[in-house]
Amino acid sequence: MDINVRASGEIVILDLEGNLTIGNAEETLRKRIEELVASDRKYMLINLANVPMIDSSGIGGLVKSFTHAKNNGGKLKLLKPTRLAQQLLSITGLLSVFEVFEDEAVALASF
Amino acid sequence: MQNTPLLKVIDQFGVKRTFPLSKSEFTIGRRVENDLQVMSNSVSRYHGAIVREQGDYYLVDKGSKTGLFINNEKVERGVLHHLDRIRLGGADDYDIQFIVPEYEAPRSSGDALSGIHSAINAAEELKNLARYVEVNQAFKFSLSPEDVLRLIVDAAVELGSAERGVILLKNKTGELEFKVARDGGKKDVPRKDFSLSTSAVKEVLRKNKTVVVNEDDHHSFEVGHSVAFLKLRTIICVPLHRFQMRANMEMTSMLQQELIGVLYLHSSKVTAGLSYSSRSLLESLAFEASKCLENVRLMHEEQEKQKLEREIELARDVQVALLPAGFIESNLYELAAESIPCRHVGGDFYDFMTLPGGRLVLTLADVSGKGISAALLASLAQGVIDAQFLAGHSPAEVLGNLNRVIVNRSDANRFITMFSAVLDTDGTFNWVNAGHNPPMLVRDGGEIELLTTGSLILGAFDFAGYDDSHIKLNSGDVFFSFSDGVTEAVNSHGELFGEDRLLALLKSSVKQTANEIKDRVLKEVLSFTRGLPQGDDITVVALKVK
Repeated sequence: MDINVRASGEIVILDLEGNLTIGNAEETLRKRIEELVASDRKYMLINLANVPMIDSSGIGGLVKSFTHAKNNGGKLKLLKPTRLAQQLLSITGLLSVFEVFEDEAVALASF
Repeated sequence: MQNTPLLKVIDQFGVKRTFPLSKSEFTIGRRVENDLQVMSNSVSRYHGAIVREQGDYYLVDKGSKTGLFINNEKVERGVLHHLDRIRLGGADDYDIQFIVPEYEAPRSSGDALSGIHSAINAAEELKNLARYVEVNQAFKFSLSPEDVLRLIVDAAVELGSAERGVILLKNKTGELEFKVARDGGKKDVPRKDFSLSTSAVKEVLRKNKTVVVNEDDHHSFEVGHSVAFLKLRTIICVPLHRFQMRANMEMTSMLQQELIGVLYLHSSKVTAGLSYSSRSLLESLAFEASKCLENVRLMHEEQEKQKLEREIELARDVQVALLPAGFIESNLYELAAESIPCRHVGGDFYDFMTLPGGRLVLTLADVSGKGISAALLASLAQGVIDAQFLAGHSPAEVLGNLNRVIVNRSDANRFITMFSAVLDTDGTFNWVNAGHNPPMLVRDGGEIELLTTGSLILGAFDFAGYDDSHIKLNSGDVFFSFSDGVTEAVNSHGELFGEDRLLALLKSSVKQTANEIKDRVLKEVLSFTRGLPQGDDITVVALKVK
């Protein structure tokens, strides 16, 4: 899974590409988030538009990243999850915790 | 294509990209038409370019405001060598490096060695070449890691006409460790007898290129205190890099070259030196050595992996043995459960027990991930649940407590999805669903209910709260719970078994017994995936009210 990082002002947007499933993907994401938080980039928007599959490992990565950001005074939000991802987020109760957006501009304005 | 140089770029976010320099002109600038677009206001629209002329590559300034630098020297037009660093004025946070994949011997005016050392004679050349080939052959045989290191150092000592040499490798904490040292007579040199110039080693780590210190030559770098003290004539330090197998050289997300160690040679002979070709052979040897060290590392990794797989299989056998028997019955209900674990031990489990008074406790759970630690967490959870229910807590209380236990074990990067319920003798069904696949309740009349409230998975957040939901089960109602492995089972056309198919199956089976329902679903799933390996644990529980 690849991560392309871009910035919009203070907010960092992580465009994920590929499956967020068991393997390196989850670790890659978590490490990237840790690096960003460590370099004081604490407002993060994860773009899931190009993530066709997420499994429990991926969910774990999102949860860990969210918690890490939060514990360091930051915010992590989600953008354009696929239908499958939405379903997973709903069943696991994470929709009540994560802020999820369909539109990038709206997402950025919410920080 | 093999010899096409590359540009390794790391931008201000730390994102790494690689560009093959296959065109005769590779442009760099702020505008998007450039081959490398650098978005910084101090970078000019068309800042510069790398042009290829008769096999050499030159960095050319195209009239930039802030200038172009090669290894921090400003240039209008400068030749590029392997590992040179390019900087654009005004974009200090961009790291750009020129790389020649197969090392080419440097041919330029900057080389401190050219012309200094004695002329190459034909015999020496031949000897060097033969030695190089011999080492290459030896690498193909399987030797112990230490023997491999000895071979590398022996070859390096000979190629470098050195008196002694040592190989240093980075350990887990990133520090260089003294591994194997040899003298010219192919004997080990004990560590205490080998004095290293720490400044030379620091220099090679810093520059990430071969460093040669020659007593007569003050250009390479300042002779540090340690070097002068040792009265050395020549020190040669060659960096060893991590050799990475890459499927596609054009891939854009390549790892930066990682230094894994240093080959260090020294000689106190005045005439000892490093002939031009010896140097390039030495670096080729370092390249081969890196490949070899990588093979040794991979072999070691493979052995570890096999050991782990054996442990996993053992854990799986234990786990399966711990699952309760698949069927219990009372005046009120029948319960049939079965779990078919996947190849890897996983975290699926079901648990049921009867409490004093005849109440049935039913739990289905799935620990995220696979492997032994998932299985261990599953066992822990089972223990906590059993104890809590026996103590008389409701499902919401039990899950709330379990959540706190798991969250506090912060080393586990895991969570659990769980459905837990208590069926009382009068048919009241008290349940909580923490992120688990919503179980299906098929009423005797055919109506369907999905039992979910969107409560949080266990182990994610300590602020998660759980509430009991109450419903009444009546005679003929069927409660059915299942794991991911059922609905996400895939057939040979790539179709998912899915919830709709399962629902239809349950509706049509509602009159059957719990065992019949359970068996029917399993049969359907297994024939759906006919022939294909199982992707996930399959766990099903059917509860029927009589």
